[in-house]
Amino acid sequence: MKLAAFLLATAAFAADDSFVLRNVTIHPVTSADIPNATLVVTGGKIADFGPKAAIPKGAKVIDAKGLHVYPGLIDSASNVGMSEISSVRESGDVNELGDFNPQLRAVSSVNPSSDHIPVTRGNGVTASLIYPGGGIIGGQAALMHLDGWTWEEMAVERNITMQMRIPTTTTSTFSQTFGAGRRPFAETKRRYEERLKLTGEFFEQARAYQRRKAAGGGGFTVDRKLEAMLPILEGKEQLLVFAARERAVKDALAFAAKENVKIVLAGVREPGTAVKEIAERKIPVILGETLELPLEEDSPYDSPFTLPGELYKAGVTFAFGTFSVQFARNLPFQAANAVGFGLPYEEALKAVTINAARIWGVDDRIGSIDKGKWADLILTDGDPLEGRSQVKQMWIQGRPVSLETRHTRLYEQYTKRP
Amino acid sequence: MKRRHLLLAAAGAFAYGQTGSPGFYAIQNAMIHPASGPAIPNGTIVVRNGLIEAVGPSVPVPAGAWTIDGKGLHVYPGLIDALSTWGLPAAAPAAARPATPAADAPTGRRRGGGDETPANVQFLDDGGPEDRPSNTSWLKAGDLVQPADATLTAARNAGFTTAIVFPSTGVFAGQGSAVNLSGGRAGDMVVGSPVGQYVTLPTRSTAGFPASLMGSIAYVRQIYIDAEQYKAAKAMYAQNARGLQRPAYDRALEGVLESPRILLPATRKVDIDRMIRFGKELKIPVVLYGGAEAWRAADSLKASGVPILLNLKWPEHDRDGDPDAVESLRTLETRELAPSGAAALSKAGVRFAFYTTGLERPADVRRAVKRAVDAGLSNEEALRAMTLGAAEIYGVDDRLGSLENGKIANLFVTDGDWLAERTNVKMVFVDGKKFEPAPAPAGRAE
Repeated sequence: MKLAAFLLATAAFAADDSFVLRNVTIHPVTSADIPNATLVVTGGKIADFGPKAAIPKGAKVIDAKGLHVYPGLIDSASNVGMSEISSVRESGDVNELGDFNPQLRAVSSVNPSSDHIPVTRGNGVTASLIYPGGGIIGGQAALMHLDGWTWEEMAVERNITMQMRIPTTTTSTFSQTFGAGRRPFAETKRRYEERLKLTGEFFEQARAYQRRKAAGGGGFTVDRKLEAMLPILEGKEQLLVFAARERAVKDALAFAAKENVKIVLAGVREPGTAVKEIAERKIPVILGETLELPLEEDSPYDSPFTLPGELYKAGVTFAFGTFSVQFARNLPFQAANAVGFGLPYEEALKAVTINAARIWGVDDRIGSIDKGKWADLILTDGDPLEGRSQVKQMWIQGRPVSLETRHTRLYEQYTKRP
Repeated sequence: MKRRHLLLAAAGAFAYGQTGSPGFYAIQNAMIHPASGPAIPNGTIVVRNGLIEAVGPSVPVPAGAWTIDGKGLHVYPGLIDALSTWGLPAAAPAAARPATPAADAPTGRRRGGGDETPANVQFLDDGGPEDRPSNTSWLKAGDLVQPADATLTAARNAGFTTAIVFPSTGVFAGQGSAVNLSGGRAGDMVVGSPVGQYVTLPTRSTAGFPASLMGSIAYVRQIYIDAEQYKAAKAMYAQNARGLQRPAYDRALEGVLESPRILLPATRKVDIDRMIRFGKELKIPVVLYGGAEAWRAADSLKASGVPILLNLKWPEHDRDGDPDAVESLRTLETRELAPSGAAALSKAGVRFAFYTTGLERPADVRRAVKRAVDAGLSNEEALRAMTLGAAEIYGVDDRLGSLENGKIANLFVTDGDWLAERTNVKMVFVDGKKFEPAPAPAGRAE
């Protein structure tokens, strides 16, 4: 009796990541939409899909008539799980002190119980690139599933890229007319050059370390900081370089060329003439919030909205990131805003699914509905980029994930108020 | 005839000699610009005992006057800097005060508009009573003037004879005084005091409340409410002290009540409109200062009747700025159009005057006025804005600002149009006392 119960439980568990969706419209993202189709998930992976996909015997079948299935959305830059309430210092773990901290790993800093995780899931986001900040090199970012009891369970890739903030010479221009926030340019430039020099020296140190390590020998000791730089120097890992304005972007491009490292540009806002070079060198870009003021007083009011469309036309590969904790839930709407200002719809959807997966080199597992990929799926009653659509069900690696959030709990609580 | 020769010879000797002045002069055959009316070619002006005794085209030269041949010379009323710190104790060392965005100009502390934290003159500012922070409203600039200050001489050599000086630290910085730029003691220099309360509205102070524009405005508002109440309590007590608790003496409110008008900062049009409304609410005459965007606000100023002081340091390209920065349209527009503000105000019939804060040399002042003239202001209006216009705004036009009988003998004599590049100031009279600037070497104002 006892044994039987155990077996039953195991069976139920095993079946938990296998199911079939029937009568559903499938949006694979990498291929054309398929109405009235069947999607088969076995052992957490997409086994088959199509109008005539065979339903395995004994499979749990969910009738999804009138609903749509999409790959789960991917946020290409956030701090979800690293900070709970920004004004409560103790709940924040995003920034470390010091200029160079490549040894820090966001992965172990993510709090799996963060209330922001379910809230973000609520709008269809299943994975997020979570990065640390602070100084020039802030540490290593992780690609995390937005579900799991522990960070180990959440991690898709523990160390996927290295956060870096390129030193800039940005001087405030928005309120310059009346002398507000002014700082002599010479001072700004001196500081910029100093920091750029520091950065160069740090890379030199890392290379020297790389040579020492390769040479072997008795005197070699492990340095966690420099060790963490090796995948960057070897070209195995990309640097996630934050650069908003044209000059910073150009500096970042020059830096990448000089140090011969691979980079992904993050938080690009007004790249100006640098777009051409970004496209030519095939450097991926992570775009931030669209609902944003332009950086310059005289920039077109809609420049944050039109930028994604312009990059697309220039042939730049990009994905969206929220660069946020509490606004990570707005990821789909960020992409949607760009559609109204010149970005083709398909491209907007790709920018939060397959293009993100490709940029991070995980498109063998996530980012689209394709055979063999993980079943990171959302079942919706409409277009997930549309604010009125509801996510009805979510699976991460085939496991159903709760869509209950702090928001829904409060909603329930207060609808009961007499 | 012979006597006149002698007199001329004596005058000549004096001109290149030096000592003493009998205080009785007649300038003949000069082009006289009275500011209160049209120019008088070949006019005569008589100065005695510090006052203008006579001025006109056919004024007889009284016996006993030192006669000055004014052929080829121009006589103007002495210039007035309508908002100044000349002669006041210098700012405390940089370390002792909050960082200011721009370097202090030698002519005074930066006072471009409403936005900056004023330099902290430590020993002028004891912080005020606890509940009256940033308030030294009782200070009178006239009491603080240092007659030996070299700035005064430099300004005088450029044709300035009067400055309306104000303490400049704090929200209620203190009261202004009209001072003549000559005198052995501060008391000799004061022509009118107090002439107004200088108010700054810090928006980014780190020194404590108020540290924002809304805080500053709320604070000023409260002070005026308190002052009103204080005045009523004092009046009641004065009428019948017996049986009444005396109202506690409050020097911060005394200073506010004493001031006949309040100077408020207003750079942009939005500031100008806001401060006009604020002035109405405070029920006290208001004078605005700053005015970089006055060209846009002539109508609202006209409708309100509020006068404005324009800073002659017109906005200019930031030399410390980012060389690659693309300047905003608003920046360029303000820079281009600020000097046209004076012409716009003049056309609309708004009372205005100029002040020189931030300009270092007399030549800079002249060029700045010239820019206003090039932007449409008439030569006469420009002169008026630096003389009678300023005197009217401060209510001292009964004694200063123009060449008229009975007014204080403040004037300067040049060898050409005062705005022309090569013109030299030959003589300056302050309170009837004659000064002759050293024949211009490469002298700087400071």
